[in-house]
Amino acid sequence: MVCIVDDDEAIRESLRLLLYAGGLRSCVYESADAFLKDDKPPVFDCMLLDIRMPGTDGLELFRILRRKHLLYPVIFITGHGDIPLAVSAIKHGAFDFLTKPFRDGELLDKVRSAIDQHRSSRKKLQKLHELQARVDACTPRERDVMRLLAEGLANKGIAEALGISPRTVEIHRAHVMNKMAADSLPALVRMIATLEPEKN
Amino acid sequence: MKKTGFSDNANAFDALMDAAVDAIIIIDRIGAIQRFNQAAQLMFGYSEQEILGSNIKRLMPEPHSGQHDGFLDTYSKTQQASIIGTGREVAGLKKDGKTFPMFLSVGEIQQKSGNRFVGIIKDLSEVREARDKAREMEEQLLHADRLVVLGELTAGIAHEINQPLTAIAAYADAGRNLIEREGQIPLEDIHSICERIAEQSRRAAEVVQRLRKLVRSGVVSKARYNINQIIRNTLLLFEYEVKRTNTELLFFPAKSLQDLYVDEIHIQQIMVNLVKNSLDAISLSGRKDGQIKIRVKKVASDVLISVTDNGPGVAARHRKRLFESFFTTKPTGVGLGLSICKNIAGAHGGTLNFSQPRKGGSRFTLSLPLEFIG
Repeated sequence: MVCIVDDDEAIRESLRLLLYAGGLRSCVYESADAFLKDDKPPVFDCMLLDIRMPGTDGLELFRILRRKHLLYPVIFITGHGDIPLAVSAIKHGAFDFLTKPFRDGELLDKVRSAIDQHRSSRKKLQKLHELQARVDACTPRERDVMRLLAEGLANKGIAEALGISPRTVEIHRAHVMNKMAADSLPALVRMIATLEPEKN
Repeated sequence: MKKTGFSDNANAFDALMDAAVDAIIIIDRIGAIQRFNQAAQLMFGYSEQEILGSNIKRLMPEPHSGQHDGFLDTYSKTQQASIIGTGREVAGLKKDGKTFPMFLSVGEIQQKSGNRFVGIIKDLSEVREARDKAREMEEQLLHADRLVVLGELTAGIAHEINQPLTAIAAYADAGRNLIEREGQIPLEDIHSICERIAEQSRRAAEVVQRLRKLVRSGVVSKARYNINQIIRNTLLLFEYEVKRTNTELLFFPAKSLQDLYVDEIHIQQIMVNLVKNSLDAISLSGRKDGQIKIRVKKVASDVLISVTDNGPGVAARHRKRLFESFFTTKPTGVGLGLSICKNIAGAHGGTLNFSQPRKGGSRFTLSLPLEFIG
């Protein structure tokens, strides 16, 4: 699903048809304000946003979306005079921009790659959420063991560091592997690296 | 004594005739030429011998020559001739076949032997030429101003044409993709796509049409036009500019307004200048809630068209000079817009004035008489 926000009816309708011909469904809004007023907009993977509109303009809507942490990719639709604006929008995290009139295939290509990117980042995010949920299921002591495991310590070292018996470490370790659904130590280390990339 | 007196009179008369700078021609009541002074000979290219006895119609181009017998006829029957005592501009015909504009006044000489008419003629060729030249230069100036203002609106106009072109390209791509993907698509879908493409092409053509009128050069003539409609069409040129600057443009047309006898392009030119000035003022002031109100209303025997903005207004020290040529407060202005607009208003028997609204900003009011044939 693609969301189109443009104040020109002919542009909205022709884009909708072009996307439909490319096998993509879309929803349309005639202004940024109309979009913001919609309490339950459909779930979509990409937004095509006109940069110049009466009322709240495209750039302003983009800023509002970012502030709300709505991170779907936004592709700006611009005229020739607005390219500097569009470039600055990209610096602020917009996915891409399209200059009117669009070159053959350009629109569908960009929309598809935006959707792909959004889906894969959404998958990553989902995985992170899952991992985080597994970590949350561990007890504080189990989390300590997990952290030291990831740092490369053996059972004996962990026992010393935490002041508990190696036997107890072994039991905690079994629980950790089980709760995290890790079938090996390297798998567990990878999971933790995914969750805490800044430590690498 | 008496004979001498007559002869003196005749000599004086001859001297008067030949000293006159204007052409003087005397005809009898059926139009035969009896006297043809030297100025007339120079003006028309005939010697007195050649022309004496000829009908005055020989000095008039068609269709006037055909009508002249009728004038003389009517006059001898009714004694009513509008030309006697007032004079008028008519065309003359020279021996070499060239026509020229002339001012003709006619007097009647009442005599027992039959009334005669005396015509006094001024050649208006030079006057007319100078007037035409002045008018042409004025037109060129007006045209240059239109081009300058339109030049400033180029981005908006390009956008207005680019929008339908974008839609057309997208519809055509969509149609082709559908055919490629599905192998074939229902005829009614093709029909609908073609219809939309055609509609958008016409939309682009309308923009071009609006422009073509304004960039046209040369003398344009007046006709009866709906003022509300002229203004509405003009405001369309500003759609993009208004959107770009997030300005609110409000139009209040007059209700039940009779058509006015105006030059459409010139009225558009005034409106383009005034609205552009307002937009410039607002954007220079950097305010984000710019508003321009255009109101048309009938007051007594005039139509008032006001353009009011909430920009920074005009500094008191500049107000007196607003309509002077080459006076400008814009960084890149030439200073001709308002002086040209004031001249156009004058040519329509109207006025263009500035006033300061109480709440600030500026207001320009174009006043046009409901009835003016200029």
